[in-house]
Amino acid sequence: MPAFASCGEAIILGLVSGPACIAACGPILVPSLLAEHKGFRPHARYLSVFLAARLLGYMLFAVVAWELGLLASLLPAPRLLLMGVVYVLLAGVLLWYAYSARRSCAQPCADSKLVQITENRNHGVTGAAALGLLTGLNLCPPFVVAGIRAAQMGSMAAALLFFAVFFLGTSIWFVPFVGLGCIVRNQAVITVARMAMVLIALYYLSMGIAMLLGKKAYGY
Amino acid sequence: MKLRVVLGYTAAGATVLVAVLTPFLLFPLFSKGVAALPLHVDEVYSGGPTVRAISMGAYSIDVHRPVYPHFLQSEKPFVQLDWNPVSALPQHVSDEVDIDGDGQPDIRVCFEVPRDPKPPLRVDVVSLNPRYQTMQNAGKEKFSRLIVRVDNAILVRVPLANP
Amino acid sequence: MATDARTLPLARPAPRGIGWSLLLTLPILVWSLLMFFNPGSSKTPIWIISGAITALFMTTLFFMMMRSRSTYRWRRIFFVSLGVLFPIGFIYNIVVMRGTMGIPVEEMIAGRTPFCFMPIPMLILPAAFTRTLVFPGSIASASHGIAAMVGVWLALTLVMGKGWCSYACFFGGIEEGVAAIPARAKIRKLDPRLRYLPWAVLLAMVLLSLALFEPAYCMWLCPFKAVSEYVAARNLLGLVQNVIFILLFAGLVIVLPFLTKKRTQCSWFCPFGAFQSIFNKISIFEVKIDKERCKPCLVCLNACPNLSLSKESVARGETLLSCMKCGACVDVCPRQAIVWHIKGTEIAWKPERARLMFLYAAWAMAIMFGGSIIAQGIATILHFIV
Repeated sequence: MPAFASCGEAIILGLVSGPACIAACGPILVPSLLAEHKGFRPHARYLSVFLAARLLGYMLFAVVAWELGLLASLLPAPRLLLMGVVYVLLAGVLLWYAYSARRSCAQPCADSKLVQITENRNHGVTGAAALGLLTGLNLCPPFVVAGIRAAQMGSMAAALLFFAVFFLGTSIWFVPFVGLGCIVRNQAVITVARMAMVLIALYYLSMGIAMLLGKKAYGY
Repeated sequence: MKLRVVLGYTAAGATVLVAVLTPFLLFPLFSKGVAALPLHVDEVYSGGPTVRAISMGAYSIDVHRPVYPHFLQSEKPFVQLDWNPVSALPQHVSDEVDIDGDGQPDIRVCFEVPRDPKPPLRVDVVSLNPRYQTMQNAGKEKFSRLIVRVDNAILVRVPLANP
Repeated sequence: MATDARTLPLARPAPRGIGWSLLLTLPILVWSLLMFFNPGSSKTPIWIISGAITALFMTTLFFMMMRSRSTYRWRRIFFVSLGVLFPIGFIYNIVVMRGTMGIPVEEMIAGRTPFCFMPIPMLILPAAFTRTLVFPGSIASASHGIAAMVGVWLALTLVMGKGWCSYACFFGGIEEGVAAIPARAKIRKLDPRLRYLPWAVLLAMVLLSLALFEPAYCMWLCPFKAVSEYVAARNLLGLVQNVIFILLFAGLVIVLPFLTKKRTQCSWFCPFGAFQSIFNKISIFEVKIDKERCKPCLVCLNACPNLSLSKESVARGETLLSCMKCGACVDVCPRQAIVWHIKGTEIAWKPERARLMFLYAAWAMAIMFGGSIIAQGIATILHFIV
């Protein structure tokens, strides 16, 4: 019964935290999805890999943090350091993604007509996995709230279960992103997505460096 | 084809009419429409609504509802207190404030009130309830941690403690 | 109808007669007087003089548009004046009110930060998710409130679509003025991919504004903070922000327009311009290219200040979505193949009628919105002189 109650609490917490997760992951997810192939299936595949890697990130953090003492891991100073590292890595992956996505285009970028997009399956999978894992490790406010609650669980298994159910609750909010598959893919859309990735990467890079230097960019 | 031409010219004529009507009708209409939407300015800026006023004799302290930042906003949760009117404040303010209304003081706030409104203000806040953070010689570092003079009130924002 | 179009003379049309031009200008004169001297409003002598100068200025420019049958150069005079006079009036007002161009935190808390149109796209997602406007202003204030600016923007957008960027924006005039200075462009080869950058800035800023819950563009990237107002630099972060503003202004609004003769900030950076492009889809007025008449000599590509034409778009007989209806390409085309057009009608069928209808609507808006800003700037200058 207590496990059932904590699962209920986790899923409600996840559902309530969904908009915050969308806000936190949107700058990473939207441009990278727009750089993908058109259609529901590629987007569903990308999103599945992204979310699976995000769950892995959650679990990884939960296990390591449990061993080190979960509450201690959520204290401001180590959190800031971890977030700084994650931000710099996110920036790196986004820059790599923006660079490698150029191969998605088969014709010169000046042409605004529809172009044939080349097959490049591995790019999408590895990119989605890397970005999902890093956003999973990114200590956004809803994650911290869930972490604090999980820390109060009696065992690591219970904490992992809490995180997993919380993850499910937040993931429902990601389903509409599959709709981005409807947007037509041409050279303009892919170029815009790549440029946006670079801009967002620059933001994460500057914030990450600021955090590593001890300047708090956000968080408590 | 002819219908398209008629529709095109009708729409163009309507556009000119919209332009003529804008200053007299449409601009006020649109502005009132936007103002009537159920939107509010972010409480990190506005401080949130006042929930009650504590009378201190010649002056009063307005207690605002605690403000919680959204998403990844770079501010802490805080509560805003307004001392007003400034003209009725003593030169040195030292008040114990019951923020949550439970009859027990939550913080002690001390600041000087200069006659000249220009100089920057500094505030000391001693936490009497672990929910609120202590501040020493705070100025206006962040929206969630400051003392400022706005019109005829002195505003103090006290950060809430870490969760 | 198609026969009419093909039989239009290739030579540039002769100037319109003075009588006809005056007659066509008469409604604009009446409109100007109505806007600046509406009954019931109490005006100071300085305001009456500046209003009269502005009314005369706007009416004269419209007369010249009618007389010469060209649009761009006369509109440019208005637009550059708007761009130059806006900072004069605005900065004077805020310095008088608060003593500095930096926005003090007290003014933000009091909701007295003037709202410009730039953050409008960044407000949409936070408002949709939380019903919160992430701007330290007031919603209902009549003079500088969010509702008033959004109301003006809505009305002008209905009328002009992306024409906002040529007839209403009070920022673009500076770079258009700088771009007009050199006789020839020093840099001619421009990467066409850069015209996608405003969309990328828009996408990134909209997403980051939701995540950070702040108007990210205003906080970090707006070049025009350099000539309006900025977050007061209270710490290292504020200093970095202000350095970014100044560098972007110097690069995109001064140096690059001078070297390229293009509105580089508008073409390569402005997220509001990208957002506004979407509304070209609903605007009834557009610029089209008569493919049968077009050679193509591509003179229009060089003339377009906003990179809104490409070889491919010319071949398709249309401008790109970012066209801001400034009229430069129409005026410069040696074969009159580029024309003002009303959607649904035959291309090049009575294009002057389409031009007149668009100009009446756009100029009326320009007088109402930009004209009042010009009058404010003139009043500020008069205040110093008198």
